[in-house]
Amino acid sequence: MARAIERSTGRRQFWRPATREALTGWLFALPWILGFVLFTVGPMLFSAYASFTNYSITGDTAWVGTDNYTNLFKDERFFQSLGNTFWIVLVKIPIVTIASIGIALLLNMDLPGVKLYRTIFYLPQVLAGVAAIFLWKWILAPDGLFNNFLGFFGVPESARPGWFVDPNWTKPGIVVMGMWWIGGNILIYLAGLKGVPTSLYEAAEIDGANSVQKTWNITLPMLSPTIFFQVVTGIIGAFQIFSTAFIITGKDSATGGPDGSLLFYVLYLYNRAFGRTGQATLQMGYASAMAWVLFGIIMLVTVAQLWLAKRWVHYETEGK
Amino acid sequence: MFTSFGMYTLKRVSVLVLIASIGSLLLVACGDNTAAPTSSASTTAAGGGTTAAGGGTTAIASTEGGLKINKNVSGKVELWHFWSSPVRRNAIRRVVAICQQELPNVKITETFKPFSDIYTANTAAVAAGSGMPDVIVEDRPKLPQAAANNIETNLQTLATRDGIDGSAFWPFTWQQTLYKGATYGIPFSTDVRMLYYSKNAFKEAGLDPEKPPKTWSEVEQYAAKLDKKNGDGSFARLGFSPLLAGNWDLWATLNGAEYVTKDGKPVANDPKVIEALNWIKKWTDGFGGYTAFDKFRGSFSSPPNDAFMSGKVAMFTDINGYASQLNFYRPQVSKADGSGKENLDWGVADLPYNDNTKPANSSGGFALSIPRGSKNTDAAWEFIKCATAQKAITSWARDTYEIPANMEAAKDPTLAADPNWSKMVTALGTTRVMPFASLYANYGEQIDKRTRDVYDGKKDAKAAMDEAQQAIDAEIAKKK
Repeated sequence: MARAIERSTGRRQFWRPATREALTGWLFALPWILGFVLFTVGPMLFSAYASFTNYSITGDTAWVGTDNYTNLFKDERFFQSLGNTFWIVLVKIPIVTIASIGIALLLNMDLPGVKLYRTIFYLPQVLAGVAAIFLWKWILAPDGLFNNFLGFFGVPESARPGWFVDPNWTKPGIVVMGMWWIGGNILIYLAGLKGVPTSLYEAAEIDGANSVQKTWNITLPMLSPTIFFQVVTGIIGAFQIFSTAFIITGKDSATGGPDGSLLFYVLYLYNRAFGRTGQATLQMGYASAMAWVLFGIIMLVTVAQLWLAKRWVHYETEGK
Repeated sequence: MFTSFGMYTLKRVSVLVLIASIGSLLLVACGDNTAAPTSSASTTAAGGGTTAAGGGTTAIASTEGGLKINKNVSGKVELWHFWSSPVRRNAIRRVVAICQQELPNVKITETFKPFSDIYTANTAAVAAGSGMPDVIVEDRPKLPQAAANNIETNLQTLATRDGIDGSAFWPFTWQQTLYKGATYGIPFSTDVRMLYYSKNAFKEAGLDPEKPPKTWSEVEQYAAKLDKKNGDGSFARLGFSPLLAGNWDLWATLNGAEYVTKDGKPVANDPKVIEALNWIKKWTDGFGGYTAFDKFRGSFSSPPNDAFMSGKVAMFTDINGYASQLNFYRPQVSKADGSGKENLDWGVADLPYNDNTKPANSSGGFALSIPRGSKNTDAAWEFIKCATAQKAITSWARDTYEIPANMEAAKDPTLAADPNWSKMVTALGTTRVMPFASLYANYGEQIDKRTRDVYDGKKDAKAAMDEAQQAIDAEIAKKK
């Protein structure tokens, strides 16, 4: 029968249907694959090569073996930038995670006007990053909005934080500023909360569970895959912090702001690449080595998280 | 064992890791559009409608002070600069308009790029081989490094062809454009630092407003009288601070330090650098510590919200061009008796020098260069000749109060009519410029990162600078 139809349309199948389907799929994916190979894999391979040379983008390039990598481990500023970056990862991620889950739980309640609040919490997300960073630079200026607000509560001028000028307050300033952008996280947690089946809560209520028990035993375990995803992506993002520090430090970005307290890993990488630090030659080879070391660190941290995840992330599909 | 969701997450996460790390790699590749602090804008200069005088295709040149500009050259010239303040943006547009008339067949445009990334953007474009401007305003003291990094074009052949040997410019400005004996830019403008002081505050404190302080000890005595405190101990008005528009290098220069040798080697532990640091520390101690001072300093921004125009500081150091900002904003300050505001009556004087040395000054400034790979070298070169020649640079100087690098232009009668102008030009005669630190151009970072400890009193200035010197030597040794 099938044969008859084929013959009647006068067309022969050159490939088996399964192969044809696969080919169609690859064809549709081709633009992305080409882009990925040309603009992602290509530059990555090149940077891997460059990390073993003294590549300076405008000068001659010579093979230096593993010099860039061994020099990194003798570089005081490399460790300083790594320390600053880990500080942000370890302090900012827990705060952001707890705050956004907390707000998402509140916004998930069935209260009048809650939709308006959801909009308000998401709104900052709409404002472009660079403009918002400038705005925050003013808000957190020594006599800016935030400090004047503290003064309103009787905090004397000498006790108000020197955000972005006092090396002890620069990184906390970045964390405070980062809270502005948690709207996106809240939205994803809200979506996660909406996905928790109501039947579980009903069953718990029949068993006489109170709201704390329900949150602890139902909501959080059911939300754990979302938390896991957010923490993993959040940490990766925190390791790559750049524009905030670059803009906040402004003309001092080459040295990383007050006492180098905002010299984050990628900012240091950028300063090396464009000769803003060191002997002023463009050290793109060194910067490439730094990029690969960061890749390794992020990979390690992520693998560790995947391993840890088995202990706390709850999947409904478990046991399949 | 991973569950299906786990596997999915793993794949997804590894892709994310990949993307994330690529992001950091790409940062290296496209530094030009990463986080530009402010948007850049582009405009076309007005004018340019006039046709070249004379007839035929013979090269018609307009002569200006012996310099010949080839009017027949055609093409496009894009100029990158970092002047966004109303005063300077208008001033550079006027320079472009003047040269547009001189070069009727060239389309000249000017683009603002923030100072924080104009040079990285240029470097990235030169490396990529496209997207670079045809002319860029170079920070002259850093031009030799740009030349060493193979970013700017060697202009020596063109300069020799057109008889530009540097004799028209202040000698140090020309020196700063040279790398291995060849010029990589033509000096545009230069500057000196001046002491600006508030005559209102002087009168209030019982000081003669026509007798500004001359030496370090005098400025200390004056400042003590000019300080005014609030009830809570904070400063209502600060007499003076050496760190408001200057850094250790300015005061080390004024102190006669030689912190870069003729061979291009930085000397952080020159005794005169250490003496200058100790003098600065005296001021931060007087304020109540460096951190407190840093907070005070952090509360100011650009004119008219800076320390001097806001009336919070009575004596202030800034470049001579700051006079144009004062003329432009005409700031008002609170009256001594608190009954409203009055115009800030300001005076200009030489920078105070250490009592046991002689008057000195420190100069920066700009040069115009052609990034390597520009497709319009001929037109760009004619534009540079025009912009650095008398007519255009005089217009720039009248607008900005920056001193033309061209010595003849600095004598412009309109400018000379202002008594402050002659003070500025005289100060330029005392300027001390350090040689280019070819062995370690960013040597300042080794000093900068240790000054806080000195001002905080955590480290002795000598010990800190000895340490900086060791770090500098180690860095130079690495270069082989």
